[in-house]
Amino acid sequence: MLSFIDLNRFMQYIDFSKVQQLFLYDPSDQLYFSTSFFLFFFFALLLFYRIFSKSKNLKIYTIIFFSLFFYYKNSGYFFLLLFASTFINFYFGSWIYKAKTGGMKKLLFISVLVIDLGLLIYFKYTNFFIQIINGFTSGNIQLLNLLLPVGISFYTFKAMSYVIEIFIETMEPTNNLRDFVLYMYFFPNILAGPIDRAVAFLPQIEGEMMPSKEDMGRAVFLIMSGLFKKAVIADYIGLNFVDRVFQVPLRFTGVENLLASYAYTIQIYCDFSGYTDMALGIASLLGFKLMDNFNIPFLATSIADYWRRWHISLSTWLLDYLFKPMQMSFRRMRIYGSALAIFITFLLVGFWHGASWTFVVFGLFHSTYLAVSLLTQKFRKAFWDKLHLTGTKTLKVFQILITFHLVLITAIIFRSDSLATAQNVFHQIFKYFHGAVFFQWITGYTQVFVFILIGYVLHFIPKSVDNKVKNIITASPVYVQALLLALMILVVVQVESAQLQPVIYFNF
Amino acid sequence: MVSDRLKKIILNELKLDSFEFQDETTANQVPGWDSFNHINVIMAVEKDYNIHFKGIEVLKVKNMGELQKLVDSKLQN
Repeated sequence: MLSFIDLNRFMQYIDFSKVQQLFLYDPSDQLYFSTSFFLFFFFALLLFYRIFSKSKNLKIYTIIFFSLFFYYKNSGYFFLLLFASTFINFYFGSWIYKAKTGGMKKLLFISVLVIDLGLLIYFKYTNFFIQIINGFTSGNIQLLNLLLPVGISFYTFKAMSYVIEIFIETMEPTNNLRDFVLYMYFFPNILAGPIDRAVAFLPQIEGEMMPSKEDMGRAVFLIMSGLFKKAVIADYIGLNFVDRVFQVPLRFTGVENLLASYAYTIQIYCDFSGYTDMALGIASLLGFKLMDNFNIPFLATSIADYWRRWHISLSTWLLDYLFKPMQMSFRRMRIYGSALAIFITFLLVGFWHGASWTFVVFGLFHSTYLAVSLLTQKFRKAFWDKLHLTGTKTLKVFQILITFHLVLITAIIFRSDSLATAQNVFHQIFKYFHGAVFFQWITGYTQVFVFILIGYVLHFIPKSVDNKVKNIITASPVYVQALLLALMILVVVQVESAQLQPVIYFNF
Repeated sequence: MVSDRLKKIILNELKLDSFEFQDETTANQVPGWDSFNHINVIMAVEKDYNIHFKGIEVLKVKNMGELQKLVDSKLQN
């Protein structure tokens, strides 16, 4: 029997200042899905969600409150910026809808776009532009001491999808600020997407907001798969191999640089799709269906196909809101207009990723691939027809391999911290290959090698198999599902190094 | 109601023999009407009726019925 004296003594061991620390923002200890702290808080959220199951209003506010705290833990006082952005876009949306004249509508629309993009550009790109100007003028303008608000690239695009659809009259604004706040703050996708459109998310708030049995099974499957891909495969490959090579490519042979490139390609897939899976799974547990971001991207038979399979929420956003209007404006230029529109769009895809020349060049490669692909489509088709290869499996495999390697080239640029580093990687591959080192590498980096293979295998698993596993999980009793989840968390904890690897896309 | 003239323009541009266009028919339901052929179709319509669409007007169009309405509104002016 615990007496009060024992309890008192026990309480003395609890350092309450440490507990307080948990609730405060610490830039070196941000809140990611794969932390134990998040787990604890998420269970608390689910508990309240269950308790409030009869009141939708309370459920919504529970998520909002939790999302606010989650955002604060990740980005400190920038949650105020998120709030400002939410407020502004909500009211502008309403004003645009109610505007009496076309001129007024346009003015309001342009104003809110300027504000949204202005904020994004200010925080993300000011120092980049200053550096360029300094370079040109040999000037010495002081760089601003700016931190990037977490998730700004994602929530800005979410907000813009709302006002754009209201402006082109494909959607009516919501009268409920609470609902719009939920949409903007929604913690599963605030940090790194998917960029869900208001038109797809807001109606779900009208729905049950309660997971069905299928939703729960799906959630368990996605969270397990996401955790494994991200925390086991991606983090391990990155930390133990890719990071080392890309830090000093010249210290490694060409074959190692090439292997690091293959490794990075699967690392970023596992990292990002793993995170997305977790986001989708968590949202599923709250009764929300977010859009998927990936569809076996390395099976793409062309770069255009690749972008229909990779970061789908971003590419469809840019295609619908940027490419299509541009293409329509350039229609008199026919195919050249389309090529120009696609070129500009993908240049911006690159630039969206960050204020760095490597991202610009990344975008440039993809936009060139796509423009050239479009302009040469007729010739290529005629060529394959002549060789009687059209529609054959041989051609398909060839196209997949070519597309994959075109992507690989851009992945090298994407990963490099500078264009010089990327150059070094290519230099080693082409000038200093030393293929025989491969065998030494396998013995020296066996676990990395195995993980790379596992990563690729996981990537290529067809959706039908995914669905079968999902169904098995859904059919299992709840305690089995909980056990599986706990098991996966245990595995993750074992494999995870002391330092948690943030999701690569958090930097955007 | 989608006029025969509009149907003919589209069938011709997409090189289709026939297709049952309803008011609710959307572009992705019609074979060959992808995002690149889309501008060819729009331009063919503009040329045939001798009208000009503003980019944003076309973006708002969701289906055949709305396209017809847009064409009609242009012809009235």
